[in-house]
Amino acid sequence: MDNASYTTLTRQSGLMREMQTLANNIANASTTGFRAEEVMFSEHIKALGPSASSLSMATAAVRNTVDTQGTLTQTGGTFDLAIEGDGFFLIETPNGQRLTRAGAFTPNENGDLVTADGYPVLDPGGAPVFVPQGLGSVGIGADGTISAGGQPVGQVGLVRPLEPAQMIRESGVMFDAPDGFEAIPDGRMLQGFLEASNVNPILQVSRMIEVQRAYELGQNFLDKEDERIRSVIEAMRR
Amino acid sequence: MRALKIAAAGMTAQQMRVEVISNNLANMNTTGYNARRAEFADLHYQQLARPGTINASDGTALPTGVQLGLGVRASAVSVMLAQGSLAATGGDLDVAIEGDGYLEVTLPSGVSAYTRDGALKLTGDGLIVTSDGYSVVPDITIPSDTRSVSINAEGEIYGYFVDQIEPQLLGQLTLAGFTNSKGLEAIGSNLFLETPASGPSAVGTPGEDGLGVLRQGYLEDSSVDPVREVTDLIEAQRGYELNSKVITAADQMLSAMVQLR
Repeated sequence: MDNASYTTLTRQSGLMREMQTLANNIANASTTGFRAEEVMFSEHIKALGPSASSLSMATAAVRNTVDTQGTLTQTGGTFDLAIEGDGFFLIETPNGQRLTRAGAFTPNENGDLVTADGYPVLDPGGAPVFVPQGLGSVGIGADGTISAGGQPVGQVGLVRPLEPAQMIRESGVMFDAPDGFEAIPDGRMLQGFLEASNVNPILQVSRMIEVQRAYELGQNFLDKEDERIRSVIEAMRR
Repeated sequence: MRALKIAAAGMTAQQMRVEVISNNLANMNTTGYNARRAEFADLHYQQLARPGTINASDGTALPTGVQLGLGVRASAVSVMLAQGSLAATGGDLDVAIEGDGYLEVTLPSGVSAYTRDGALKLTGDGLIVTSDGYSVVPDITIPSDTRSVSINAEGEIYGYFVDQIEPQLLGQLTLAGFTNSKGLEAIGSNLFLETPASGPSAVGTPGEDGLGVLRQGYLEDSSVDPVREVTDLIEAQRGYELNSKVITAADQMLSAMVQLR
C-alpha cells in the first residue's frame, strides 16, 4: 500500500474511536451527573524529504470533557443534591478520594451518607458525613450544611480540581484528580434536585451521522485506491 | 466495533427504566406505595493514553489523554421516600402514618415484616390484622361488644362501650423506624423486610424519636406522580430509540468495512 491508503486508514480508525465515544455518550444520556466527552482529531506531520510534500496523518488523540451544566430535575429526595455551577462532591472509594457530580445519596445502616455504590460522601475536611436519625426533617443548605431539627449536624463538601484537564474518568460517574483539589467555600447545591446527564442528543446524533458518512467516504476511497493499483498491475502485465 | 455493545448496554438500561416506570404507574392507587427510580452509572473506561503521558516525538505531556467509555449500568433502583397524600376514608381502623415509620406485622413464618398500609381489619376473635390477615405487633384485641374505636395520634386505641361512659384503653400501636428506610427489601403486598442495609428496626411510640404520628380515618395514597412518570417514560423511550440509532449507524459502518475487497 502507498501513503494515500495509510493516511485514510489513520482517519478510519480515528472515526471508529469517535463512534465509540458517541455511543458511550448516548448510552449515558440518562445517567445522573454524567459529563459528555468529545474526541478531537490532531494532525501528525512527517516531512518526507527536502523537496517532497509532507505527509500528514490524523489521530484521535485529545479527549475533551464537556462541562456545561446538565438540566436540574426535581426529585424531592431529602439527600438528592445537585450542584449549580462549578464544583464536585468528594467521595471516598477503596482506591482513594474521587470527584463526582452525581448527587443521589442515602444514609446507610450506620447513618453515614453514601452513594448508590455504597461509597461514603465526605465533608470539606475529608471526613465521612454522618446524618443522625430521629431528629425530624433534614434540610441541606446551598453551602452543603446539613441541619436536622434546626441544628447544624454536618456539611457535604464541594471541591474543585486544581487541573481539570488532567482528570481521569472512572466507572460510576467518578473522576480521579491526580493533581489534587481544593475546597470551594462558596459553592451552591440544591436539595431535592439531581443534575441530569449533560449529553445533548441532537448534537450527538448529528455528529454520529457525520462520522458514519465520513467513514463510508473513506472506505469508498480505499476501494477506489485498490482498483487503481490493481489496474496499474494489470497494465504492466500486458 | 465496541459501539454496538455500548449501545446495547444503553438500550438495556433504558428498558429497565421503562420497567420501573410501568411498575410505578401500575401501583398508582396502591395504599402506602412509594415510587421508585432507576439510577444509572457509567461503566469502566479504557485508558488508551493516560493524561500526562509523554509524547515521544517532542517530549510534551498529553494534556487530557484518551479514554474510551464502555457504556452504562443500572446502579440502583431507589425508593423515593416522599409522603403520599392522605385520603379520608372514615374507617375507624384505617390509620395513615404522617411522617417516618412502619407498622410491624408478623408473617405466618414468625418473621417480622413492615408496612405503611394502615387499612387494618379485625379477625373473628377481634384481633387487629392487616388486609392480608397478618397480625399487627403488638397483638391488640378489640372486644366484640365495643361500640366504637378511637385511635389517637400517639397510637393509643380506646374503645367505647354501651355500659361505660369513660373510654377504655385497649392497646397501643407502635411504629418501627430505620436508619436507612431505602435499604428495606420489598416482598410485595406492601410489605418490607429488614436487611443489613436498612439497619435494625427501632420500635417507638408514634410522634416520638422522629417517628410520624397516626391519623385515624385516613389512608396514605401512593406517592406516584403520574405526570412525572409519563415525562420519564417519554425520555426513556426516546433514549431507547437513540441507542438503537447508534446500533444502526455502527452496523452500516461495519458493512462498509466488510464490503472492502
